[in-house]
Amino acid sequence: MDISDFPPVDLPSLRSTLGEPGAPTKQKITDFLDDNCLAFLAHSPFCCLSTADSAGNCDCSPRGDYPGFVRALDERTVVIPDRLGNRIADSMTNILDNGHVGLLCFVPGMTETLRINGTATVTNDASLLAMLEQDHAVPDLAIVIRTEQVYLHCGRALLRAGLWDPELQDLANEVPSSGQIWASMSGFAPEVGDDINDAMAGAYRALY
Amino acid sequence: MTELVVREIITETPSIRSIRLESPDGSILPPWQPGSHVDLQLLTRHERQYSLCGDPGDLTSYRIAVRREPRSRGGSHYIHGFLRVGSRVWVRPPRNLFALADAPAYLLLAAGIGITPILSMARHLAAQDADWRMTYATRHRDDIAFADELAALGDSVTTHVSGESGRLDLPALLSALAPGTAVYACGPQAFIDDLTGLAGLLPEGSSIHVERFEPRQREHRPNAPFTVVCTRSDLTVEVPAKRSMLETLQGAGVPVEGSCLRGICGSCALNVLEGEPEHRDSLNGDDQSTTIYPCVSRSLSPTLTVDA
Repeated sequence: MDISDFPPVDLPSLRSTLGEPGAPTKQKITDFLDDNCLAFLAHSPFCCLSTADSAGNCDCSPRGDYPGFVRALDERTVVIPDRLGNRIADSMTNILDNGHVGLLCFVPGMTETLRINGTATVTNDASLLAMLEQDHAVPDLAIVIRTEQVYLHCGRALLRAGLWDPELQDLANEVPSSGQIWASMSGFAPEVGDDINDAMAGAYRALY
Repeated sequence: MTELVVREIITETPSIRSIRLESPDGSILPPWQPGSHVDLQLLTRHERQYSLCGDPGDLTSYRIAVRREPRSRGGSHYIHGFLRVGSRVWVRPPRNLFALADAPAYLLLAAGIGITPILSMARHLAAQDADWRMTYATRHRDDIAFADELAALGDSVTTHVSGESGRLDLPALLSALAPGTAVYACGPQAFIDDLTGLAGLLPEGSSIHVERFEPRQREHRPNAPFTVVCTRSDLTVEVPAKRSMLETLQGAGVPVEGSCLRGICGSCALNVLEGEPEHRDSLNGDDQSTTIYPCVSRSLSPTLTVDA
């Protein structure tokens, strides 16, 4: 299959299908975090960070920590600590190449999400990093974002998904374990998956 | 941890809020003495230590006071920005690492937000009709918290505004003490370091008791791996150089609680049965102490045996 098997639509056709966004929708987009957005961020333990390199190759990665870990330093500046991860650092290498980023923030139990688009840099400023200490660990790097577009995204997607429905957690039991997926994608024998699961259980104890 | 509810928030100064906490059903709270603190956990899971600064005789509520730290690691940022009347918080029962001992006379010293444990000590000593004096130093006049409550304690309380009168003259204060006077002090790091550096000026029989809310800055030898034998859990745990003893023990399933993770709150205390602990905490212990705080402390001997 190739994506060209499906006829693409052009912009006029897209607009004639969807219509234009209403004035209220456009009005709710600001370039700063108001008090309500600040309260949203202060209670958000999870976000997805989208970046792209200068050629437009995209990446989206999950970031999670104590609620409020995406810290607003003021109404136009937010900072994300870079915690222990896989060291691929796609997001940060992209940011060095192209500062444009998109952030989608979640609050457990809340169907609306907060979208923050802006321009980012990567810093190792010691006094800033000290503020991001968590469970004894000061991050080595942080991403600082100057906000350009801020808005609350409506809750239909999460409502349709039933994302916060506890019963839907059973879905995870039907998905192969991370070890199985990892072993298969790396070309290892399925038994290796169990070893990977054991190793991950140990590695997950050190979150910082 | 026990759930409590925020019943009242008062802006005491431009940077200090006091917060009154009650049990959700209004039931009586565990008792405490002047100097006690609670480990307080927010809905965001941030956990911090706060001295109780209310009236120990009224167990229907606890009061804490929190300064907004310009470089907050998240706790005071949340408490000042987002905590509201009706918010839930969780606390462990009060613990006292800064208890008043019997003494013929007392000098209480508070600097900045260090007023919180000192205020309840002052009220207690006033009620006991003890021989006591207190000096409370702040940078600016509008940084003085609880001014009305302090005024009610009478002439024993002196406020010192360093922005107007210069640095508090600690050598003069200490040199003038009567023999046997117990000094209790709480404040920022520089203040406590200055004070403890002047211990030589104390008259005979006097002692200095301090409480820090920031870790003491000290040089340590580089981290080395060591082995911990946990007698009650019947486990032997290898602590790597890059991990703390506390997180390694917890990861191995040894039941030990931590709270501040910075060697100031004392909640992770363990008894050392054998071996030579390397104390890196900021509590009042001495180097020979057999109580170890594994969130920061390590071992000088290759193996440490603890009662855990």
